[in-house]
Amino acid sequence: MGQLRLLLQVAFRNLFSSKINLLIGGIIFFGTLLVVVGGALMDSMDSAMSRSIIGSVAGHIQVYSDESKDPLALYGSMSGEPDLAALDDFSQLRPFLEKHPNVKTVVPLGTSGAIVTSGNTVDMTLSNLRALYKKRDEAGETPELRESIDSVKGHVRQMVELMADQTARSEQELGGAQKEPAEVEALARARTDAFWDTFEEAPYSALELLENRIAPQIPDGDMLELRYAGTDLDAFQRTFDRMEIVDGQPVPTGQRGMLLSKFFYEEFLKMKSALRLDHIKQERDLNQKTIATDPDLQRWVKENQTQTREIIFQLDPVKTRKMVERLQKLLGSQEPALDKLLTQFFTTDDANFDTRYAQFYSELAPLLELYRLRMGDVLTITAFTRTGYMQSVNVKVYGTYQFKGLEKSAMAGALSLMDLMSFRDLYGYLTADKKAELAEIQKQSGLETLSRDEAEEALFGEASDNELVAEATSSDVDDQAAFTGDQGALTRENLLQRVYTQQEIEQGVALSAAVMLKDPELLEQTMVELRQAAKDAGLKLRVVSWQEAAGIIGQFVLLGKLVLYFAVFIIFVVALVIINNAMMMATMQRVREVGTMRAIGAQRSFILGMVLVETLVLGLVFGSAGSLVGSGIMALLNSAGIPAGNEALYFFFSGPRLFPTLSASNLVAAFVIVLGVSAISTLYPAFLATRVSPLQAMQTDE
Amino acid sequence: MNPTASQSSIVSITNVTKDYTLGKVVVPALRGVDLEVHAGEFISIAGPSGSGKTTLLNLIGCVDTATGGVVRVAGQDTKQLTERQLTNLRLNTIGFIFQSFNLVQVLSVFQNVEFPLLLQRKLDKAQRRERVMQLLEQVGLANHAKHRPNELSGGQRQRVAVARALVTRPQLVLADEPTANLDSVTGQNIIDLMKELNQKEGTTFIFSTHDAKVMSHANAVVRLADGKFLDRISAAEASRAMAAGDH
Repeated sequence: MGQLRLLLQVAFRNLFSSKINLLIGGIIFFGTLLVVVGGALMDSMDSAMSRSIIGSVAGHIQVYSDESKDPLALYGSMSGEPDLAALDDFSQLRPFLEKHPNVKTVVPLGTSGAIVTSGNTVDMTLSNLRALYKKRDEAGETPELRESIDSVKGHVRQMVELMADQTARSEQELGGAQKEPAEVEALARARTDAFWDTFEEAPYSALELLENRIAPQIPDGDMLELRYAGTDLDAFQRTFDRMEIVDGQPVPTGQRGMLLSKFFYEEFLKMKSALRLDHIKQERDLNQKTIATDPDLQRWVKENQTQTREIIFQLDPVKTRKMVERLQKLLGSQEPALDKLLTQFFTTDDANFDTRYAQFYSELAPLLELYRLRMGDVLTITAFTRTGYMQSVNVKVYGTYQFKGLEKSAMAGALSLMDLMSFRDLYGYLTADKKAELAEIQKQSGLETLSRDEAEEALFGEASDNELVAEATSSDVDDQAAFTGDQGALTRENLLQRVYTQQEIEQGVALSAAVMLKDPELLEQTMVELRQAAKDAGLKLRVVSWQEAAGIIGQFVLLGKLVLYFAVFIIFVVALVIINNAMMMATMQRVREVGTMRAIGAQRSFILGMVLVETLVLGLVFGSAGSLVGSGIMALLNSAGIPAGNEALYFFFSGPRLFPTLSASNLVAAFVIVLGVSAISTLYPAFLATRVSPLQAMQTDE
Repeated sequence: MNPTASQSSIVSITNVTKDYTLGKVVVPALRGVDLEVHAGEFISIAGPSGSGKTTLLNLIGCVDTATGGVVRVAGQDTKQLTERQLTNLRLNTIGFIFQSFNLVQVLSVFQNVEFPLLLQRKLDKAQRRERVMQLLEQVGLANHAKHRPNELSGGQRQRVAVARALVTRPQLVLADEPTANLDSVTGQNIIDLMKELNQKEGTTFIFSTHDAKVMSHANAVVRLADGKFLDRISAAEASRAMAAGDH
């Protein structure tokens, strides 16, 4: 004991006796700091991201068919949607997976992408008008209804005027007629008083002119790329408890329907002027940018000033008047033209932005439709089926949803949710409904027997001629009475109302199954066991972790970790060399002391012990200091949080701020690495020290 | 050499040679030396620089091995011993006093003296303390026990070194030019101290010096020249011879 105490004492006292020790200490200090802080940050980000991925769509484990050509990529891959083979019957897969004791829930999934058109203001107004007439036909006219109809009619007429105005202006600017003569003629006709005077006589044919000849002239609607996941919506909500409904309501149990991602809804379906205001506000509030200095903000302000048509188009004459009045009051202006007033209103700088923002939402927004799609609207989704045909399905949008903490993340908001039935239709697989429809078509077309291949061919062939794949822009026409009598349309009408049993939902195709575990710690083990079970059961399944299932995103974190570990590795290799050299020098400086000890009877083992204990003490002292400072930094970061600068980081931070935590394992890892490195780098110098001859003690100082 | 003589002799050297190799040149440092030192003697080794004094002391001190001949320390042929055994022999039988004191700078006076006892692992803490304080008392540094070596004068440091050399009660203490780094009065004190311990404890001392005054305290002076044993004379004779040689 005495010896050890002596060694420790020698070690401690030598700590600050030489500059070399301070150098080594410094390296160890910063090394530990790096490992502690870097490791903790990386781990925190990793766990935040895994929370994002696991909690949003992936679950802990994804199971999909082993016959798939591509690996599963829930967030899409570089080359678009992965080519996956379908799991033919989810209702058989679920009990199989749930047999494993660690499996909590299993959710069927199928992700895909489609094109939707967001519709334009003219379309929306016209469908509004058509609905009013339909209501009149069914329930009879009331004074209120008459007033509504007249108001909307006024709005439509105003829009037609605006369009003519715009056409004239663009012809002036670009020189010459830009439009088809037929279009010009239709527009001219819609502007005549005669057209409006006779409107009430045959409202539907008048509407048809407007819908089919006038509305398409507005290049207003966007083609939107919509990524969606078909799933058992109730099971999804139960399993991913970070999911919350923002607008509207959940899809009623068993019904077809869709929940748009709130992010998608905001970014792509919100009125652009309002969206730009939101963006400016967010950049100013969260990222401390200013309109005066940031080119993006300046661009948005400019766009808001010039692109006022979207607002103007929405307003019927009554609302236009109200809007003008409000703007005149807000701006203290006498200007009668709405577009000039709007341009003036949107001329914002850092001083008046917050006021204008508040005014927009409190005064102007109530007169506007802020979103191009309302909750309860039916969206027509057109997708390519696996066999390459276009397939369209009408889905009612019940609401929007988001994942708590990931509201601003484009990645978490990438997927909208859809019922499995609609998904299967879009994916091009025969559902029970489709089979029935097919039988109907068969009967009608007089065909009696068909092989499966031919049946599909026939189905899709029919469908592409049919309004099934009608252009998405005409979605609002789809549920028209005009199609009464058409078998297919009727079926679809019913489809929207129909309630499916759980069995119907599950008996059918899914692309993958998200598996949530009871104990996530046992992820690897559970995966191995599930693979074995699938093999034993003769099921061709691939079982992958959330990380793999996330595709590129999963790789991203892995890459980040690899980079950090590589950096740490390099730093420690350098540290190893430096410490090694420094220890050699330190040993050489102490040759006489070591020689003396050897001369007066210290064994080589004692010398070895002495050098090692010294390095160990050095490592412990400076390592502890590094850990302490690192812990301090982490505590600071934990209470303050690291802001996620841009939206891409929201996903990785699992929210707007990352609150990194320091786990014991980070500290342990830091200590093990630091002590290991210092011990290894001292081995050779320590060996050299044991070779010092007692004769060296006899050297004089000179 | 008769067996009784060798039994009472603590050091017995027979026809010892020592060659150093400098590059390709072999330099003989000792060319056949015989020496017998008996327990309790206080012997000085004298000779000009390069005569082999230090080499001889190193061989006796078991920090170096002879090229030829036999070196026996405390009855053991050093050539037959392993590195470990030699170290143990140094620890338990021999004490060293160095020209430049060679104290461990980071340890206190007390700890420096205690150091060999810790290596020995024979005494417990209280016993070690008693022994160390006893030694510090003897060298007159009892109230400097907690000081660091760099807080002491050269003479005080060498006295600490003397205490350290004697703390294990070695049979033999070797001192290579113990006074060379001290002024003459201090050097005198150190030699007086060594002499006193030699007489009180019966410890054998062998020291090298080329200071005639220091030599005069020795029982006998062994003179070396060119790596060879010249003669063994009394201190008085040596002084005279030095005086003669100086002129």
